[in-house]
Amino acid sequence: MNAQNKRLPGGGRIDRSYPVEFSFDGQKMAGYRGDTLASALLANGVTLVGRSFKYHRPRGILSAGPEEPNALVTLGTAGRREPNLPATTLELGEGMAAESQNRWPSLAFDVQSVNGLFAPFLSAGFYYKTFMGPTRRAWKVYEHFIRKAAGLGRAGTEPDPDRYEVRHAFADVAIVGGGPAGLSAARAAAAAGARVALIEQDFLLGGQLLAERSDGAAASWLNQIEAELKSFDTVTLMKRTSAFGVYDGNVIGLVEQRDQVGPPRTGEARQTVTLLRARSIVFATGAIERPMVFANNDRPGVMLASAARTYLNRFAVLPGRKVIVTAVNDGAWRTAFDYAAAGAEVTVADLRAAPPTALVAEAARIGVTVRTATRIVDLHGGRAVRGATLAGPYGQSEAACDLVCVSGGWSPTVHLTSHLGVKPRYREDIDGFVPGAFPADRFGAGAMMGNYATADAIEGGHRAGVEAASFCGKSAPVSAPSKLDLGETITTMLREIPSAQGGKAFVDFQMDVTTKDVELAHREGYEAVEHLKRYTTLGMGTDQGKTSNFLALSAMAALRGATVPETGTTTFRPPFTPVAIGALAGRATGHHFKPFRRTPMHDLHLANGADMLEVGLWMRPWFYKQSGADVNEAYVAEMRNVRQAAGLMDISTLGKIDVQGPDAATFLDRVYANGFAKLPVGRARYGVMLRDDGIVFDDGTTTRLAENRFFMTTSTAKAADVLSRLEFLLDTAWPELRVAITSVSDEWAAMSVAGPKSRAILGAAFPSLDVSNEALPHMGLHESQWEGCALRIVRLSYSGERAYEIYVGATAGEQLWSRLLEAGRPFDLKPYGVEALGALRVEKGHVAGPEIDGRTTLDDLGLGRMVGKRSSFVGDVLRRRPALLAPDRQRLVGLECIEDGKRLRGGAILFLPGEKAHGHGRGRITSVTFSPERGHYVGLALLAGDVATEGSEVVAVYPMKAETVRARIVSPVFLDPQGERLHG
Amino acid sequence: MASPDFSLSVADCPLIQVEGWDGMLGQFESSLSAALGTKLPASVGETVRHKNFVIIRVAPRRLWLALDDGTQGSSLAIDPDLGCSVCLGEGRMRFSLAGADIASILSTCIAVDWHAPTTAPGRAVQTSFHHVPVLLIRTSETSCDLVAPRSFARSLQDWLADG
Amino acid sequence: MLRIECPCCGPRDHDEFRYGGDASVSRPTHDDPDPEAWYAYVYVRKNPAGLHREFWQHVIGCRQWLVVERDTRNHVVSSVTFARTSRA
Repeated sequence: MNAQNKRLPGGGRIDRSYPVEFSFDGQKMAGYRGDTLASALLANGVTLVGRSFKYHRPRGILSAGPEEPNALVTLGTAGRREPNLPATTLELGEGMAAESQNRWPSLAFDVQSVNGLFAPFLSAGFYYKTFMGPTRRAWKVYEHFIRKAAGLGRAGTEPDPDRYEVRHAFADVAIVGGGPAGLSAARAAAAAGARVALIEQDFLLGGQLLAERSDGAAASWLNQIEAELKSFDTVTLMKRTSAFGVYDGNVIGLVEQRDQVGPPRTGEARQTVTLLRARSIVFATGAIERPMVFANNDRPGVMLASAARTYLNRFAVLPGRKVIVTAVNDGAWRTAFDYAAAGAEVTVADLRAAPPTALVAEAARIGVTVRTATRIVDLHGGRAVRGATLAGPYGQSEAACDLVCVSGGWSPTVHLTSHLGVKPRYREDIDGFVPGAFPADRFGAGAMMGNYATADAIEGGHRAGVEAASFCGKSAPVSAPSKLDLGETITTMLREIPSAQGGKAFVDFQMDVTTKDVELAHREGYEAVEHLKRYTTLGMGTDQGKTSNFLALSAMAALRGATVPETGTTTFRPPFTPVAIGALAGRATGHHFKPFRRTPMHDLHLANGADMLEVGLWMRPWFYKQSGADVNEAYVAEMRNVRQAAGLMDISTLGKIDVQGPDAATFLDRVYANGFAKLPVGRARYGVMLRDDGIVFDDGTTTRLAENRFFMTTSTAKAADVLSRLEFLLDTAWPELRVAITSVSDEWAAMSVAGPKSRAILGAAFPSLDVSNEALPHMGLHESQWEGCALRIVRLSYSGERAYEIYVGATAGEQLWSRLLEAGRPFDLKPYGVEALGALRVEKGHVAGPEIDGRTTLDDLGLGRMVGKRSSFVGDVLRRRPALLAPDRQRLVGLECIEDGKRLRGGAILFLPGEKAHGHGRGRITSVTFSPERGHYVGLALLAGDVATEGSEVVAVYPMKAETVRARIVSPVFLDPQGERLHG
Repeated sequence: MASPDFSLSVADCPLIQVEGWDGMLGQFESSLSAALGTKLPASVGETVRHKNFVIIRVAPRRLWLALDDGTQGSSLAIDPDLGCSVCLGEGRMRFSLAGADIASILSTCIAVDWHAPTTAPGRAVQTSFHHVPVLLIRTSETSCDLVAPRSFARSLQDWLADG
Repeated sequence: MLRIECPCCGPRDHDEFRYGGDASVSRPTHDDPDPEAWYAYVYVRKNPAGLHREFWQHVIGCRQWLVVERDTRNHVVSSVTFARTSRA
């Protein structure tokens, strides 16, 4: 292959002083800076770029933009491997290594393309008919082969080492599309005083103007407006950036590709997703040219007429020298003229009987052969097109060719405008869909509104830019834009009727949907466009059917004898172009996946050998490595130490809320099921909150610091919910209560000293503190200062042992933790983790998250007595609903394992002895622990009240491990039922 | 980004929160204003700098007094019939960010328009940084403070350092 | 994404807010003993296709509970007010 043998000696928007080396399927080639991968491949004479999805047909390059259905490649290796990238959108970069897809063993010789063998299995509806009915089992047998045969590229399986970023941005006016309409809109909006973001997926601005000669009027217009835009510091030009979705609130999702100017810079993101919040949006997304449907219309060498012109004028590539241009409208003639001027032998086959005489005359002048009322009915050639069968008024004839330029008309790019529900509207004069009525903050201009002439696009863009800025209150006077008239003629066009004599005629190239598939769908009753789509997979490729949707509609309309608008249009959803999941995640992966909360003693725990556990967002010590070889050994040792000596636990994660105000006591009386108004100053009380529906919401302790001030704690998990709920009640239900509630969770380092020796340790740590039972009784409070920080000690127990919760200002947390450990050393004080904490509370029969699961009531949990005869608190009325009082409701019981060497498991389902272990059973085990006190496993369970008789047996079944174990129903308080350990 | 023009320092952030009761706000504010010897920010997002603290209105009836680093936080005596105060002297950290690239770095952290009037120097904005509530105090064209909960501070600092 | 204009903080992304349910139902007084009233408040919803008044809290912000009027068909927010109608 000659190096760049299809490149013209001059012209184009490529930088010939910067050659760029790349490879395709391992073969080294060269292009220039300013090339796309597609243009560089064409310059090197590559016509065969990929194999099709189902039939493995040879495919070339159809388009020059994001609508490309055929030329999909894979870039990169290992973790950087990214499949299904349209070569037409890839800015050529030094060392770029592209691979073709869906071929085996090689692109040129693909085993499965010797088909006819496979084809019958892959017609529309094949999957449904074969695998969804009674023969469903067959899927298991064939899946492997089918997946291997039909498919696109393969993603990498290793972690991607590259960086991705998500960014937030703001603008008054966002303009999607940097063609003549978008540029004109940007200029107008900026001049009116608006802050503008102009979004262009290409690495050059200009849109269709880039298909014009690089030294003509279009080029000077472009240069001028680009310079003008750069003179505004309020305009952000976002090139290499695709708008993939438009979302509520005028938020546009953008994905930006790194430029290929040099090697990646340190820390530079390969892709950046920007969430752009705009006050108004101008859509100037242009239009996509339609292919034509005839037999073998997918042969490499078939190209959209506008794309062929782009390759010629922008990239100085002449992909063919014997060119047939076939069209239903005027625009494609410009391709014919430019190719003729570049030295190609050109024939125009126009389906219309009488194209404009000016075009015909010009063709005659420059030696372009014109055949009117003529269409292509078949193409010949395998890996590259070699000839065409033309059918015209005088019958059929053969013509040799190496490039076929097709133009079946244009489809305005209405995808993005549809994302927020603006329904496309059919415009008869252009035989295409344009957006329906926009809301007040969105505008459209140019080809996407069906206004194809450049002069109209510039004018429409200008108007849209002025209006969009005015919507944002920016209405400085704006001068008229410079005019650009390319002398396009826009006359009526003819709907092409698909013809499919001979071979396959493709409607959707990427999904390999042919006219026969559409006919089949029609025959079998899948006429509605949404059915057609699902039945044939039309439009479901990575290209979202950008080139195929209208062709399919038009084919179905013809079959039904209906018009296109009667046949319908499909709903477009984000993303407009594929977006890598990694780009959407941005930097939020690995340790940045979510923010972690660390307690003030975090570093000490790590230094002291803690194995940490994520609990919600918090990092908490799970167990300490010196306590045992693994968590099971460690937690039992830590429990024993608490029961026999003392343990130190970091409880800083508890939700802490400051409640103040003249009505604070009244407020707490309403939000807690048990009363707080009579709680004496200096005392703490355990409290339970219900939801409005009478189900238990959360529990915790609240201490009365002063007549009008309380210190509330909540569970770690519900801290945020409780705060929000309290604020809700004050803002919406009882605004007359003068109460201020403030989260102080982060203010305090909190630690609990628990165990028989806790009092002695407290005395040793705070020598001046009176720790006697009289001065600091169970539920008592001490407040003072320690090392310049506020100190609160509340005598509260979770473990069932005598215990003190010590709160100190967060900045002094580490210091106090160390002080306690040191003071406690003679008393065997050791830190313990959440595994032991959970086990201790199970032994004591305290309920926690597994029991307060959003389904249980106070009575279910054995807490009904706390309420007594109170009323008028949140949840009181609905907790009395008859169903919540039914005798067979599941309620809290204790279980002890009565089989030697066996254990209980959380989640096990409970049955009566002799009962068939089937269904939901009579209840379930919620929490378990090995009890050093009892010497066997104990657990808490929710068990139907009518069978929950203490002393009787149940069978706990754990199907996940095929375990069945007998257990005895006992009191949930396994330890010290009289509470003697707490009070003394 | 290679060697961005950006610096970050982290310090404790003593705060005092005061809140007036609904229905008593006028009296509460005049009494507070007299006690502090300065006017109060009129609306949420405004700040008033006075002596060694900044007063920020964080909610219609709630103000924060952010004390300069090194100042001892304490509570403020408020007439209990007018409102209350709570010392938030320990629970937050203050990130001081500065440099020409600050806007670009912050754009990967918070969804706040650096160029909007509501973010102008002297303004304060409460928003979400990686799902964490933070208070941004714009100190100049190219600098700001972020006040963040202490428990989240290291995660947010790591995120900023990676920016 | 929904953008909600907080009356005191300005327009923000919806992920700064916490949804609080239907704001068109009226909550019985705290000492109302009528189960029917509580039943209606907790469970009975109109679920309209169209304008819907709902509670949102600017939880990562000023923490005020708001009443947002949103069209459930197209997510257009037509008004946002404080849930608390403040006295001076």
